[in-house]
Amino acid sequence: MNNWEYAESIESEKIVNIEKKYGHFIQGEFVSPNSKKYLDTISPSTEEVLSSISIGDEKDVDFAVNAAKEGLKQWSKTSPSERSKYLFKLARLIQERSREFAVLESLDGGKPIKESRDFDLPQVAQNFFYYAGWADKIDLAWGNGISKPYGVVGQIIPWNFPLLMLSWKVAPALATGNTVVLKPAETTPLTALLFAELCDEVGLPKGVFNLVTGDGTTGSHLVNHKDIKKIAFTGSTSVGKYIQKSLSGRDVGLTLELGGKAANIVYNDAALDEAVEGVVNGIFFNQGHVCCAGSRLLVQEDIHDVFIDKLEKRMQTLRVGNPLDKNTDIGAINSKDQLDKINELVNEGVNDGGELFQIECELPKNGFWFKPSLFTGVQANYKIATEEIFGPVLTTLTFRTPDEAVEIANNTEYGLSAGIWTEKGSKILWTADRLDAGVVWANTFNKFDPASPFGGYKESGFGREGGRHGLLSYLKASS
Amino acid sequence: MTEVKKTYKHYVDGKFVRSESGKVYAIDLKNEKYEIPLTSKKDLRDAVTSSKAGFIKWNSLTMYNKSQILYRLSEMIEGNKESYIILLQDHGLSKNEAKNDIENSINTIIWYAGLVDKWEQLTGNLNPVAGEYFNISHQEPIGVTFTLNSNSISLDDLVKSFLPALTVGCSVINFSEKNAVIALKLSEDINNSDFPAGSLNIIAGKFENIVEDVGGHVEIKHAVIYDDISKESKTIIGEKGSESVKRISFQPPTSGLSSILPFIETKTVWHPKGK
Repeated sequence: MNNWEYAESIESEKIVNIEKKYGHFIQGEFVSPNSKKYLDTISPSTEEVLSSISIGDEKDVDFAVNAAKEGLKQWSKTSPSERSKYLFKLARLIQERSREFAVLESLDGGKPIKESRDFDLPQVAQNFFYYAGWADKIDLAWGNGISKPYGVVGQIIPWNFPLLMLSWKVAPALATGNTVVLKPAETTPLTALLFAELCDEVGLPKGVFNLVTGDGTTGSHLVNHKDIKKIAFTGSTSVGKYIQKSLSGRDVGLTLELGGKAANIVYNDAALDEAVEGVVNGIFFNQGHVCCAGSRLLVQEDIHDVFIDKLEKRMQTLRVGNPLDKNTDIGAINSKDQLDKINELVNEGVNDGGELFQIECELPKNGFWFKPSLFTGVQANYKIATEEIFGPVLTTLTFRTPDEAVEIANNTEYGLSAGIWTEKGSKILWTADRLDAGVVWANTFNKFDPASPFGGYKESGFGREGGRHGLLSYLKASS
Repeated sequence: MTEVKKTYKHYVDGKFVRSESGKVYAIDLKNEKYEIPLTSKKDLRDAVTSSKAGFIKWNSLTMYNKSQILYRLSEMIEGNKESYIILLQDHGLSKNEAKNDIENSINTIIWYAGLVDKWEQLTGNLNPVAGEYFNISHQEPIGVTFTLNSNSISLDDLVKSFLPALTVGCSVINFSEKNAVIALKLSEDINNSDFPAGSLNIIAGKFENIVEDVGGHVEIKHAVIYDDISKESKTIIGEKGSESVKRISFQPPTSGLSSILPFIETKTVWHPKGK
């Protein structure tokens, strides 16, 4: 099958203005790092160096936490309706400058512009808008017993949805009256740094939002800081476990949003073409760099062949390439490290005996790329069927009965999300009740909304982000 | 006639059992001294196995049914009120204090019995998402729960250490040390209240003997500590628990809606709307 020819339609980079070097944003201003150490952030689609960011050391983190402690004095004196207005203003500014943010996000992270422009940025703005409205209604959300902020909150976010994860963390934390020290991922810090400029622009009191860039060591200093009252982390399950362990015996709140290996269950009575779209979106959205990606396709045995045939045809139409091309469906893999991990797991899948289908397409010479891939003929115990791959690789398993589908779906330490495809309502509800997953998408997949709680069961973490339930992650219960 | 003295045993899987280790520890009351079975690591594992099956049974009952079973527990205590008062007096409480405590415990049980078929209307809701989707967040019980009770000489405090978890559908292993005689006496009324076997297990002993296992046992989905334990013990539970991202709660609220929040998991379900 031939791809249609598309004329390139490249989003201009001119709208962004990237500094050569960035400091941390602490106490309302950019400051040079105490560490005097920097690391390069590159564009994963070209490997071109975009900028140098500061690596926060223990003193940098300490400086930021102290600023947040000072900021807390001011922020707790700020009335809820004033806090609300700051967040509304931030939402508006993000909307106004969303093109700039979207280009920056695609440059620094490799995601297609159509996703950063049409998904990430609208969600970011909406998220600030949504939580802005909660700021002066906290006592209505869960009652008077649950209405006090933690204080200084440390937040560590991943590289897959850099600014969106910032908004999931920062908006509810500030709305509930906490102050923040945020550490963005080392490969995707640029949109967070631009967000810091916006905080200054709206006149957010100094120290309410602080940003320390760096790598894992910086995050570790934040977790271990004695004055942090709560840590919110999104990232891998292994790092989540390390953080939980590090906080043992300390009176520090913790919410974790970790990995997943979601089952996308396709029953034989599903609307198959819609299911194909959903399965494709479920795994190839954002190059599969999605913790809730539908990376395990569970298809009912009697429709396996026809479904795989349709799926492969649809996959072949995906366009891989320049993230800034508006036609691009699949952008660059976020980093060399991540590409190596994907390669390793896929090779292991082939060696184990899995049958690999990859679409025919040309990949750019520079940068990090991986062809959309589909495994069939896989046994449930293969690594490719159990480990989170965080890339554009789908693994197929089959089942005969609904009971078996649920059993396979739940046969994992993870429990973040799941998908169900059937035209039968009672079967949706029956299945949804039995899946160990914090989010269940029925006849849809990868839908998100600031009003909708997101978070996992089991080793996918604890706590929710989004909605009324997301407020609980930043409020302390008192008896 | 010689008085017959009661032997207190653990209550596991709907049966009254001794420790497999054969070991006991002493609780010395004003008028009586009791030898209480001392929970071993194996006893804890057995209780977890029972609780796993108990969770499936308890959680599969309708909310109405669970509600009636909790209410029945209050009826049982009411009928045996005098014997509880005597037991609490033997623990050092005045008659009045003991009577108040028992009455409070009955009120607490009735409060939770009435919450069983209502809490989800308070914790769940439709989410007004920006799009043509039906989107609902509702709650499910986390599962097998270990609770170390507050170890105070109070039936009311004791019931508050398992009712929030049971109310939402979790099964509970309730652990006592100093107040074990009260807990094991209560297990007799629990046994008469139609709880499915394993839904509520009552064991006793020295917490430090099992603290590592409570943290490390992956089938204990939630470890809840109502007692004020040492920093060392908290660290052990936290470190062991982190290996399986275990839910761990230290001294959570014991009344109101906030008392049940640690025991539930929020599930959000999406479905498109269309013609």
